[in-house]
Amino acid sequence: MHGIVYDPIHDEIVVPVALGGAILTLPGDAAGDAPPKRILQGPKTGIVQPDTVFVDLEHDELIVESGDDAVLVFPRTAEGDVPPSRRIGGPNSGVSNIYGLATGNNCIVVANRVDGPARASDDAILVFDRLGNGDPKPRTKIAGPHTGIIKIRQVFVDEERGLIFATIKNNFEAYNVNDARPSPWDPNKTGFIGVWGIDDNGDVPPRGVIKGPATGLVWPAGVAINPKHHEVYAIDSVSNALFMFKMPEFFVKLPTVSAGGR
Amino acid sequence: MKGRLAFAGAGVLLLSMIGRPGETTNEGTICPLPAGPGFEARLHALELENGCLEMDQDAAPDSWPPGWDKATIAGGDVAPIRVVSDPYPTLHSVVVDAERNLVFMSDPNRHALWSYDRLAASKAKEMVEPRTGIRGPATGMMFIAAVTIDRERQEIYSVDNDIGDRMMVFPYDGNGNIKPKRVLEVPHQSWGLSISQERDEVAVSVESPREIVVYRRGAEGHDQPLRTIRGPNTGIGDPHGVFLDGQNNEIVVANHGNQGGRAAPPGDAPGRQRGVRPTEPRPVQGGRFDEPSLTVYKADAHGDVAPIRTIQGSRTGLNWPMAIDVDRTRNEIAVANNGDSSIRIFRRTDSGNVAPVRIIKGPRTGIVGPMGVAYDLKNEELWVANYGDHTALVFPIAATGNVAPKRILRNAPAGSPTVGFGNPGAVAYDSKRDEILVPN
Repeated sequence: MHGIVYDPIHDEIVVPVALGGAILTLPGDAAGDAPPKRILQGPKTGIVQPDTVFVDLEHDELIVESGDDAVLVFPRTAEGDVPPSRRIGGPNSGVSNIYGLATGNNCIVVANRVDGPARASDDAILVFDRLGNGDPKPRTKIAGPHTGIIKIRQVFVDEERGLIFATIKNNFEAYNVNDARPSPWDPNKTGFIGVWGIDDNGDVPPRGVIKGPATGLVWPAGVAINPKHHEVYAIDSVSNALFMFKMPEFFVKLPTVSAGGR
Repeated sequence: MKGRLAFAGAGVLLLSMIGRPGETTNEGTICPLPAGPGFEARLHALELENGCLEMDQDAAPDSWPPGWDKATIAGGDVAPIRVVSDPYPTLHSVVVDAERNLVFMSDPNRHALWSYDRLAASKAKEMVEPRTGIRGPATGMMFIAAVTIDRERQEIYSVDNDIGDRMMVFPYDGNGNIKPKRVLEVPHQSWGLSISQERDEVAVSVESPREIVVYRRGAEGHDQPLRTIRGPNTGIGDPHGVFLDGQNNEIVVANHGNQGGRAAPPGDAPGRQRGVRPTEPRPVQGGRFDEPSLTVYKADAHGDVAPIRTIQGSRTGLNWPMAIDVDRTRNEIAVANNGDSSIRIFRRTDSGNVAPVRIIKGPRTGIVGPMGVAYDLKNEELWVANYGDHTALVFPIAATGNVAPKRILRNAPAGSPTVGFGNPGAVAYDSKRDEILVPN
């Protein structure tokens, strides 16, 4: 599983099961071989191989990556084989390999990957209006060399401060047998946590980062925040480690930046 | 439930990848850089020795993206206040060469292959030093899964699972940060490996496309498989363990039962490689959770063929069947049944909803989340690699029930927690319980 979300209002955990084409909702205290409360699965759902999922608590909706280059929106309690309420996908949307989803400020935030050879990519944070349906253009797109976004993964929205937290692997996966040096071991190209404003647009640097050798981050793949304790959590898929950072500066208004297109 | 959650409670499993647990404060346990002779310090030294932490002199120095130097950016190169990580190897698969008294195990936690003397064992709570360890950037190993050996050519095989898409072959005596003898491009999400000397072939199980691909032994580079078993009639669903039986001319496959939302392409054309989009996507059929199973095919089967035998159903007790091994003298199949921490032994020729002939399970066995299982027919022993504990266990070959192992091989001091992270891809914060949730 490459996604997870905790719903504090209904005390539920929601996970995608990529290999079973399903979304499972479990009790918040689930442990061991606990059965799910709900299973969303079947041909009508359009869910093929979901990698990530999010729950929009404000609007009681479940946001699902289809595994098929689309964002699917269901009622939060949808179960069985039911069609989505809305779908975002198509050439105008630019939605491709989705590795992260989040909602906030009446938006759906998509961590979008467009893989190219080696380090080439058009990875982006795409922000859509919450009620977008069909093949809409994103409201904003954060992408380009000034962003540092290469191989984006999980995203999270801090709605109170209007910030998007994103995990960036900043690396390429060595799928070619001729690659001399697999990237996970390359200390010259380690990943980072980047923080952008939810209204940021274009090729703009982040407002905040956790990046560098002291962080221990190699391939950060997931991010979560604990505003009460001013902590940022990052899971790393190469070092198989969970890193916890105290970042009080991220929980006040972050600076604007002058470089790039903001 | 098919999904599995690893709940890592902050403040409970606090081990440092970069140092030993140190001073406990209100913020948790602070992890200093290694300074003592502990295992973590030795691991750090090993990382350095293997070149994993060295800067690549030939690579361009890491520079922050353009414009960052002129921007006002909060944060920076900040050390974590706490780290949850497992400094010890996590055992995945195991294989034995009884003639040479060697045991090999794969370790997806530290991206390594370890070898031990066959009779190496912990007398009490101490860990056993491995004989060799292959790891480091030159190896090409990423999130590795199975390990197997070619006893004839004295070669070790391992395969990258969700990152890497390679099968790597090393010499028996390989040690340290070495390049593989051969590398073969394999489909994304390869998991199981089995070599048949009789057939001069290697079989690989592949999770997401639900297929078994068979290569000639010695294949390398971009060599294509000789044949593929794949399609709706095969009954293959999220395959893991595989055994290519050249004596009985069969292939045995352990299936978790997960069926993805798109129909598997029938036939034996080479599977899609990562990053290459299919020109005609397969129809959406909807995901499905089938019951776990063991399916058996003729060794030369290819394409969308039905199994010649299937072991499946409530009496089997199969639950996340991982690695398998076949004892062809006793006609038995051993299954590492991860879901209920047991080893289940089935008659090789059984079919249908059958109970295992023996089950090794219970607190005395020490079996915790087994991923690997291997027969040592010469010494009449059965090896179990525990993913949920830092141990490999050795049982008499006919062991049954809640029995203690003959020997325990620890790769960490007894009682060391196993974090269990394996290529984790997301994290969530449970604000009600003040817990951090990590899916594997």
